[in-house]
Amino acid sequence: MKTKLSLLSAAVLSASLMVMPAISHAAIPLAVDGQQVPSLAPMLEKTTPAVVAVAVSGTHVSKQRVPDAFRYFFGPNAPREQVQERPFKGLGSGVIINAEEGYIVTNNHVIEGADEILIGLHDGREIEAKLIGSDAESDIALLQIKAKNLTALKRADSDELRVGDFAVAIGNPFGLGQTVTSGIVSAMGRSGLGIEMLENFIQTDAAINSGNSGGALVNLNGELIGINTAIVAPGGGNVGIGFAIPANMVNNLIDQIIEHGEVRRGVLGVSGRDLDSELAQGFGLDTQHGGFVNEVMPDSAADKAGLKAGDIIVSVNDRAIKSFQELRAKVATMGAGAKVKLGLIRDGDKETVTVTLGEASQSTETSAGAVHPMLDGAKLENDKKGVEITDIAQSSPAAASGLQKGDIIVGVNRTRIDDLKELKAELKEQQGAVALKILRGKTSLYLVLR
Amino acid sequence: MTLKDTALYIGKAILFGLIMAAVFLIVTPLITGQGNHSTFFQQRGQNGIELSFSQAVRRAAPAVVNIYSLSINQNQPLNSGSLQGLGSGVIMSKEGYILTNYHVIKKADEIVVALQDGRKFTSEVVGSDSVTDLAVLKIEGDALPIVPINIEIPAQVGDVVLAIGNPYNLGQTITQGIISATGRNGLSSGYLDFLQTDAAINAGNSGGALIDTSGQLIGINTAAFQIGGEGGGHGINFAIPIKLAHSIMGKLIKDGRVIRGALGITGEPINPVMAQILNLPDLTGVMVTGIDPQGPAAQAKLRPRDVITKFDGEIVPGVEMLMDRIAEAQPGTVVTMTIIRLGKYYDVPVTIGENFGEE
Repeated sequence: MKTKLSLLSAAVLSASLMVMPAISHAAIPLAVDGQQVPSLAPMLEKTTPAVVAVAVSGTHVSKQRVPDAFRYFFGPNAPREQVQERPFKGLGSGVIINAEEGYIVTNNHVIEGADEILIGLHDGREIEAKLIGSDAESDIALLQIKAKNLTALKRADSDELRVGDFAVAIGNPFGLGQTVTSGIVSAMGRSGLGIEMLENFIQTDAAINSGNSGGALVNLNGELIGINTAIVAPGGGNVGIGFAIPANMVNNLIDQIIEHGEVRRGVLGVSGRDLDSELAQGFGLDTQHGGFVNEVMPDSAADKAGLKAGDIIVSVNDRAIKSFQELRAKVATMGAGAKVKLGLIRDGDKETVTVTLGEASQSTETSAGAVHPMLDGAKLENDKKGVEITDIAQSSPAAASGLQKGDIIVGVNRTRIDDLKELKAELKEQQGAVALKILRGKTSLYLVLR
Repeated sequence: MTLKDTALYIGKAILFGLIMAAVFLIVTPLITGQGNHSTFFQQRGQNGIELSFSQAVRRAAPAVVNIYSLSINQNQPLNSGSLQGLGSGVIMSKEGYILTNYHVIKKADEIVVALQDGRKFTSEVVGSDSVTDLAVLKIEGDALPIVPINIEIPAQVGDVVLAIGNPYNLGQTITQGIISATGRNGLSSGYLDFLQTDAAINAGNSGGALIDTSGQLIGINTAAFQIGGEGGGHGINFAIPIKLAHSIMGKLIKDGRVIRGALGITGEPINPVMAQILNLPDLTGVMVTGIDPQGPAAQAKLRPRDVITKFDGEIVPGVEMLMDRIAEAQPGTVVTMTIIRLGKYYDVPVTIGENFGEE
């Protein structure tokens, strides 16, 4: 009897002792920074001051062709085009990434065409920002403000992200004021959406709406993992499909903007397509994802590194890629001169090559503001004789200088220039006013930039 | 028994208890730890804990496939099929059976199944059921990824869930939310049966997986609440619970269709007024309101205003239970219905017919 009883009480005691660890198991380990309640508040206290509101104002210029009937009434000298200038205001978000320098990252589409950019800080201060540089194709812009006591976000390695990781969007939707929404990483390496020229998005179901553009997507440590940029919105609002430019891509772009005032696109020199199951079967491959190289341009970076048509590029700097578009977006944002390790499958064997990226061919259009401030608003392209102005924005500094569409710049002061590269180099040397030698139709003239 | 004896006795018990407790403490974490009992969040990193669903995603996501249903244009036989429907599906077994929504493959002439590893298969329809909006496809492939399923533990309101699918054909997408409401698991089906979730579900998610935080399948995503033609985004989405989907799948594989029993009656619950008029003891049972003249009930001479209180000896608490039992009954079998007619109890044998459903 006694032994029975003691065994019984022992069992009861041990059972009661067991309950304690069982309870601590049942409570799901929802501790964030030692807080018992599953709340993002402690993380957000540190991160929200780094996300700012971006208010822009400017003038939209729209041109309308004057109908021929009116030309009949007003005579042959009547303007061909009627120019309408409509002031606009816009709202977006931005992220402070360097507190000392006051650098703020946002989307290019938030600030594009703005004459004035005003930053609204979390503490209520409003400060005018300067545009350091922007890249339309990847939709990133870098601003700078002069202010003290700023908070910057640390940037996480966005290549380390996995689908299913928590993601928190911070921004200024509909101009409501700072708003935090939470979700998860829904997909990585999203491309082929046709939103930007260069796409390699993080997809998230954290609610992103109009005005969130340029805002932060952070992880649970409060580190920046992406810049919220776009959504799929069949009804106009959020349906749980949002896209952010990954932090690593942002890093590459702003490094270049800080160094050169522009993005110097890296060029690999291959054309190709996505590897798909048909191609993979045809080539007898195990892999089903990657970029298939159709053609290697002669003398390009890829050619120099020994890439060949038929190679399948499966990784960039040891990170697997899914599509040719992802490869393109990654390479193009790395910057000219960057060394890139490419993983290849060639004739069924795995190989790696290191490529030093070339610079984008000078014939591509350049934003002229980076060449000379007084050329801002003009689009420059190489021409046989020199550098052609292919387009010019109304009431831009370039237009005010007297430049016209179709002008060909052939010289700076007394030095002859042949292409954009020489023009850039020559203008960099000059201090103060410079005289541009211009070919306009059959006449040549000098215009002075001040 | 002296005081000393008692003290000794209690002391022994406490000592023994402490030893046992210590043993339990050491052993239980070993067992539960290996049992992987809570993968709600995966922990990672040195400076603090990082929380993620990536483990759950990794388990389930490869088995969620993209489904493209193509229609062949008869007038242009050389043109390969044009995309007619887009959806998702879930590979349930290594034989290649795939669960999806019936409406995804409804009008398809050809069905293409795309796996996440890039493989593509054309697939055949094993069977479909318009009532539950489920269909089973089959593909022939090696080393197919299979989704783990959780059929025993029913989902509860507040559980964290992940939806996996291919919205707008963007590519595989994982969205997160909670179970907002739950329904029944019976075979007669209706909107009530659905799991409701606020995880984002959009066009193309249909037929995809709803999983729990350990990566196990708990439902098949089916519909998003819509206002007008506005699309989703309201946070009100529905999934067919896995228990129902799994039993339907079994029937579809076995028979190619879901055979449902029919009685040929319409009925309604008993309200207090009717109970008084019909002189009923309580509010349980179902009152017959209409009889299909060709149906089994008519043959068994059931009449309107009969109150069905038992189905094969089992008490009928309400309409839903009776509908489930009838639907689950094998056509041709004879069941005994206990009814109250004019205050008297009768046992009526009824031969169950088949419900061919409405297309």
